[in-house]
Amino acid sequence: MNRKHFLNTILPATLATTLFKKVNASNWKNIQPTIEPAYLNPGDTIGITCPASPTEYNKLIGIKALKKWDLNVQIGKTVGKHWQRFAGTDNERAADLQAMLDDDNIKAIVFAKGGYGSMRMIDKIVWDNFIQKPKWLIGFSDVTTIHLHVHANFEIPTIHGDMVTGFTDNPKDISANTLHDILFGNRVEYSVNGHYMNREGYATGKLVGGNLSLLQACTGSKSEINTDGKILFIEDVSEYKYTIDRMLMTLKRSGKLANLAGLVVGQFTATKKNEEEPFPASIEEIIMDKVNEYNYPVCFNFPSGHVPYNYALKMGVAYDLNVSTKNVTLFEKFQANAPTPNAPSIMMQDTIPKILENKAP
Amino acid sequence: MITIPPYLKKGDTIGIVCPSGFMPSENAETCLQTLQNWGYKVKIGSTLGNQFNYFSGTDKQRIQDLQNMLNDSSIKAILCARGGYGLSRMIDAIDFQKFKKHPKWIIGFSDITVLHAHIYQHFQIATLHAPMAAAFNGEGYKNEYIASLKNAISGIDANYTCATHPFNKSGTAEGDLIGGNLAMVAHLVGSHSSYKTRHKILFLEDVGEYLYNIDRMMIQLKRAELFKHLKGLIIGGFSDLKDTATPFGMDVQSIIHSHIKDLKIPICFNFPVSHETENVALKVGVKHELKVGKEGVSLKEVF
Repeated sequence: MNRKHFLNTILPATLATTLFKKVNASNWKNIQPTIEPAYLNPGDTIGITCPASPTEYNKLIGIKALKKWDLNVQIGKTVGKHWQRFAGTDNERAADLQAMLDDDNIKAIVFAKGGYGSMRMIDKIVWDNFIQKPKWLIGFSDVTTIHLHVHANFEIPTIHGDMVTGFTDNPKDISANTLHDILFGNRVEYSVNGHYMNREGYATGKLVGGNLSLLQACTGSKSEINTDGKILFIEDVSEYKYTIDRMLMTLKRSGKLANLAGLVVGQFTATKKNEEEPFPASIEEIIMDKVNEYNYPVCFNFPSGHVPYNYALKMGVAYDLNVSTKNVTLFEKFQANAPTPNAPSIMMQDTIPKILENKAP
Repeated sequence: MITIPPYLKKGDTIGIVCPSGFMPSENAETCLQTLQNWGYKVKIGSTLGNQFNYFSGTDKQRIQDLQNMLNDSSIKAILCARGGYGLSRMIDAIDFQKFKKHPKWIIGFSDITVLHAHIYQHFQIATLHAPMAAAFNGEGYKNEYIASLKNAISGIDANYTCATHPFNKSGTAEGDLIGGNLAMVAHLVGSHSSYKTRHKILFLEDVGEYLYNIDRMMIQLKRAELFKHLKGLIIGGFSDLKDTATPFGMDVQSIIHSHIKDLKIPICFNFPVSHETENVALKVGVKHELKVGKEGVSLKEVF
């Protein structure tokens, strides 16, 4: 039987009967199986390009991991290129990504580095081929622009994960291992520590989001996502608390927080401090303050973001999120393309970092 | 049709509030003294001198103070002593009904941009983008910018000129003048307070931002189509800027210019609206004529 046909017809119907009780009917559109890019097989080619800040070939430490996973690596023209603070001009960076999007040989694109620059070239990209033949796009931070744009316009899943200048081939590297597992078709099933400020509850919805600064910056544009019925994930780095507050107010006042299924707060790292005028709230309090009037589950300190243990997240697909103060589970809801993975999981359960402990003050 | 609040007469009361960041009372002394020297009375709000760490009070306290001033019919203008950050957290809790019936001048800039945008979009009442208390300090109270504030509230029409700039684009435009702080204009996008810029003259200034962030905010405004149907564009001062370890590679005016150079409207750079001393009082919401020519730039109120 043609799997796609099966998925598009029988599967939704059977799922509807089993899930209707649990799932709010109006949220149905937000959780039905997504057509996903094909998972990778050993021998596949993965492309590396720099959409934003520049980097050198010798900084692409993740290549060792990619090769260990038996992938062919295609290095984009923007690696090693410099133009002001970018990896080439906007046109060059767009052309490099475009070539990889249009190349059928390339089964996934993992971005080299974030920084700043994706927003400058995203509108030059022609997505027609990608829509017909989607492939996995992997990155985070500045690359959030691309995640948001793809979800908002094409509803094609992407992978929020560490980039080639970040993850390594260390067998205990969580960023690498979780990325590997997703790429080769393992179902996402995370169980992590809770947090004393978590708002308990259960949610089902597609996971969207990424870097908070980019979420704000995309407001009002073609890359703006609709968060109704979704599980929103946010993270950020090196921002003042008042800026974080302000960016969350932008989300709130543009209606992005009112109708969520759930909120997953990742890592907010290297928060800048203003010693003279300290902000009178913790990051968790700042966030909770914005979503106080809603009922959906909120979990803090999820291990994804600008940290060495950057748990990869498949975005744009539905998850079951279960939040308590003790524990949080994030389980992928459907396994659309590959009921059995093309390569088994390499994520070692004993590597879950103890630093995620969240004791009340 | 824009509603112009009544201009002030001698003996009128100006309310002083800090809607956002904390300001010690002594920093507003010269301002209060000067306003009184101009013949006005001042009513000091509970948020001047009050502190809640970063803020001039809890959200509730700041809302209360601003609300009281808005509702008090004896107060003919509200001067925000400083900006900072905080109006976004309160704006949706403010009741503007009494203010709508009895409009008064709202004065300030920076974070106060939230009020300028919100009031213009919702109530079509003119507000005053102008220097705040700190600008009076030292010799400031004597300068032409503080004088422009005095002129504005007394009913003297604005008529400003500034020197030409290589990035300027010649032309003449007429339209309601709107704008303020770039970071706040960007922050408001998507909310019901956000400026609708069709056929308007937009002015922007900022302070203390990273160059890449200026670039990003300009792109945000562009992608949200805030530049698309403008009649004119005024780029003010962008001061005290920061750069990352890998430098952006362009100065701020070149960055801004790169995003707006294809607009077919009069554009002027270096207009004296900024977080520095050069900050003329601008009536937000009022129709202005912007003339950009080889010899220089003029911006004046028209009717």
